[in-house]
Amino acid sequence: MIQTGDAVLPAAADECLDSEGRPRPPYERILGTLTNGDLGRLRDVQSSAAGWFAERDITFGAPSEGTAPIFPFDPVPRVLGASEWASLERGLAQRAAALDQFVADCYGAQRALRNGVVPARLVYSSTGYLRDVVGAAPPRATWCHVSGIDVVRIDGRFAVLEDNVRVPSGVAYALMSRAAMQEVVPEWLDGAGVRSIGDYPRRLLNILQRIAPRPWAAEIAVLTPGPYNAAYYEHAMLAQGLSAALVEGRDLWVQDDQVYRRDAEGGVVHVDVIYSRVNSEWVDPLVFRADSMLGAPGIIEAWRRGNVALANAPGTGVADDKAVYPYVPAMIRYFLGEEPLLDNVATYDLTAASHRSHVAASIDRIVFKPVDASGGYGIHFGRLMSAAEREKMLARVVAEPRAWLAQEEVQLSRAVCLGRDGGFEARCVDLRPFVLLDEQPWIVPGGLTRVAGSPDTLVVNSSQGGGSKDTWVLNH
Amino acid sequence: MGAQPLTFAISHHTTLRYSALVHGSYNEVRMHPRHRGGQRVHAFTLLSEPVAAPRSRIDFYGNIVHRVDVAAAHQVLRFTMQAVVSMTEPRARRPEPWQAVVLERDPNYEFALASPRVPLDAPTAALLQEWVGDDRSFDALVEVARRLPTEFRYIAGVTTVDSSIAELLDGGAGVCQDFTHLFCALARHAGWPARYVSGYLGPKPGEAEAVGESHAWAEVCGTDGRWVGLDPTEGLPVAGSHIRLAVGRDYGDVAPHRGLYFGSAGSAPPDVTVKVSRMSNDDSMSAHRDAPMERQQQQQQQQLSPRRSAG
Repeated sequence: MIQTGDAVLPAAADECLDSEGRPRPPYERILGTLTNGDLGRLRDVQSSAAGWFAERDITFGAPSEGTAPIFPFDPVPRVLGASEWASLERGLAQRAAALDQFVADCYGAQRALRNGVVPARLVYSSTGYLRDVVGAAPPRATWCHVSGIDVVRIDGRFAVLEDNVRVPSGVAYALMSRAAMQEVVPEWLDGAGVRSIGDYPRRLLNILQRIAPRPWAAEIAVLTPGPYNAAYYEHAMLAQGLSAALVEGRDLWVQDDQVYRRDAEGGVVHVDVIYSRVNSEWVDPLVFRADSMLGAPGIIEAWRRGNVALANAPGTGVADDKAVYPYVPAMIRYFLGEEPLLDNVATYDLTAASHRSHVAASIDRIVFKPVDASGGYGIHFGRLMSAAEREKMLARVVAEPRAWLAQEEVQLSRAVCLGRDGGFEARCVDLRPFVLLDEQPWIVPGGLTRVAGSPDTLVVNSSQGGGSKDTWVLNH
Repeated sequence: MGAQPLTFAISHHTTLRYSALVHGSYNEVRMHPRHRGGQRVHAFTLLSEPVAAPRSRIDFYGNIVHRVDVAAAHQVLRFTMQAVVSMTEPRARRPEPWQAVVLERDPNYEFALASPRVPLDAPTAALLQEWVGDDRSFDALVEVARRLPTEFRYIAGVTTVDSSIAELLDGGAGVCQDFTHLFCALARHAGWPARYVSGYLGPKPGEAEAVGESHAWAEVCGTDGRWVGLDPTEGLPVAGSHIRLAVGRDYGDVAPHRGLYFGSAGSAPPDVTVKVSRMSNDDSMSAHRDAPMERQQQQQQQQLSPRRSAG
C-alpha cells in the first residue's frame, strides 16, 4: 500500500505507478487530483455517471426480466501518454492492414496459403472461411473496415491478446464513458489535455459513404441481431450517429439482387450500405445458415454483384479465428515486409503434435480457450485444474485440436479503480482500440478499457461482469 | 483415339410440397450438368412452376447455380430441368498418391480434410486399416470402392439426406449418398483429396433409358491434378454413363435444391424423378426431332410469356 495525500493507492497498480510507487508521468496529474481531496468526489462521479447512463438507457447485456443492466463504469480514467500511444498506434495500424490483406488473399489468390505463411488446413477448416465469398471484389478492396484489436500490457510492453475483425463491439461505450465524464467532471479533462474521440461516428460514416455504390446518396442501414443482443444499445446509438436506419433481418428484403427496406411510413427504400453487426455467416440464410433468422436471403448475391456494400465485408472471420492468431506476425512480415511492432502472447497451435507435448509439459502456465467462443466464455486456466481435470482437458485437445487454442498465461497490468468500500483497489485491465480502415488506417485515440469485475479476477471481459473506464490519450 | 461420345437426353423433375400456402420462396438449384472434360452440355433449360426467371452464377467448386425467387404464394413448387449432354468414355488412369508436404500447399488439399458431412474420426480410420492396411496407392482406393457395396447393403429409403456416416456404419445399410460419404472419409484418411459428385446414371448397355432418382459417387485427385471417378455404390470406376451435375466436399455443397420460404408451413422431402435417355448420335445433331426437346421448346415459350399458365 502506498500512502499519497490522504488516500491509499494499491501497490500492484502498475498501469499507474512505477516500481517505486510514484505515479507514472501520464498519471501524475489525475492521481494528484484524486489523492488530494477528490477521493470523496470520486463516488459522486461514479453515481452521477451511473445516473447519466441510466437516463439514456445505456445498457450492456441481454435484458433479464425486461430490462438490460446499466453498463458498469469505473470513474478513475485509464491514461496513456502521447508517446506510448503513438507507438501503440503504429503497431495497431500495421496489424489491421496485414489482417485486411490476409482476408483479401484468402478470398483471392491465396498466396499466403500456397507459400505456407498460414497453414492452409487452418483456413480450410475455419468456420469463418466462406466459400461463397471467394472471388468477390468488395469496393475499394477493403474487407475489415472496423477492427477491434485487444491489447494487454505485459512487463510494460503492449501485446495483442486477440483480433476482432468480424463485428467488434464497444466503441459506443467508449464514446458514452467520455460523454459522461465530460458532463460530470469537465475540469479533469480540460486540465489534463485529453484527445477527443468524438470524431468516430463521422469517420465511420465517411468510410460507409465511400464504399457505397452511389456515394453521393448513400442510404445506410445498421443491421442488428435485435434487442436481445448484448450490444444492442451500441447498434442503436451508432445508427443514430450515422443518421442510418436500425434494421433487423426481417426488415430487409432482396429483389432482383437489390436490397430494400421499408421506412416508417411504409415506403420502400433502396439500401446501399449495410453496416452489419450480425456475424457474416448469419447474414444470408440462403447461402450460409438455413436456420438463421438474423439476415435476409439474397444479401450475399446482391453484395457480390456490387449492388450493396457490406461493412465489414462477409468472410472476415477467417482472420480472427483464434487458431489463425499465432500466424499474424508472419502475415505482417509476408504482406507488409515489416517486422511486427506489437508482440503476440505466446500461443500454441494444438493441431501440431510438438506444440501439444509442450503444452502438456507446462500446463501450469497454460490457458485454454475454445476457438469458436467469444465473450471470455469457456476459458480454462491450467494451474487451477485438478490432475483429473488436466487429463480430461488434454484428452479433449487431442481429440479436437482444431477446437482449442493454448496460450501462456499472462499477468495483465492493473490499474487503480474505485473499490466497493470507497477506497482504491487495483484491478486487471485490457484495452480494445478501434481501427477504421480506408486508404489510411485511423485509430480512435484510446478505445475501450475493460476492467476485471474484482481485484482477483483474471478474465477481463464485459460479458463476464467487468466494467469499463474512460480511456485518455494525452496531447503531450 | 477414344470411343465416340454418347449423347443423352436428361429430364429431372423435382416437386416440393408444403403443408400450407407459403408466401414466397428463395431457392438455390444445382441442376446444371457440368461442361468440363469429356462431358459437354449441348442444351439446357430450367423451368419453375410458379414461373420465375432464374439467374445463374458459378460457385466456388465450378458448379452452375441457379437462383429462383418465387414471389407468388404457392403450396407446390416444381422444377423441371432438361438437358442434352454428350459423354466421352474416360480414359483409364492410375494416378499417383501425394506426398503430405506437397499436398498441404495444393489447392486440392481442402478435399483431403474433414468437411461438415465427412468427419475424419477413429471408426473410419480403423475401417480403412482393416480393409487395405497401410496401402495408400490408387489401387487401394479401387479396392475400397469395390469392397464397400459388398460390406454394406443398398436399401432405398433406409436413410435420409441428413443421415451421417455413423448411421451407415451402425445400420449396415444406406443409399448412394451414404456410400459416397463413407468412401470420401476413407480416401481422405488415406491422404487423397476426394470429392462428392452428384449426378445421374445413364441407361445400362442395351437399354434405351434409365428412370429413377439422382445418383452420387466420388472422385479422387492424384498428383497430376486430374480427378478420377470411383462409384462406391456400383463398386466400379465410373464410366461414360456417369453424368456429373455438381461437385463439392460433401452433399452439403452440391444439394440439387436448397431453399427458404416464408410462412409456417411444413415441408416434405421432395419428389424427384430423373429420366436419362440414350440418343443416337444422329439425333443429337438434329435434336429438334426428338420428343423431349419438343416439350422443352414448348415450355420455354411458356416461360417467355409468363401470363400463360405454365403446365
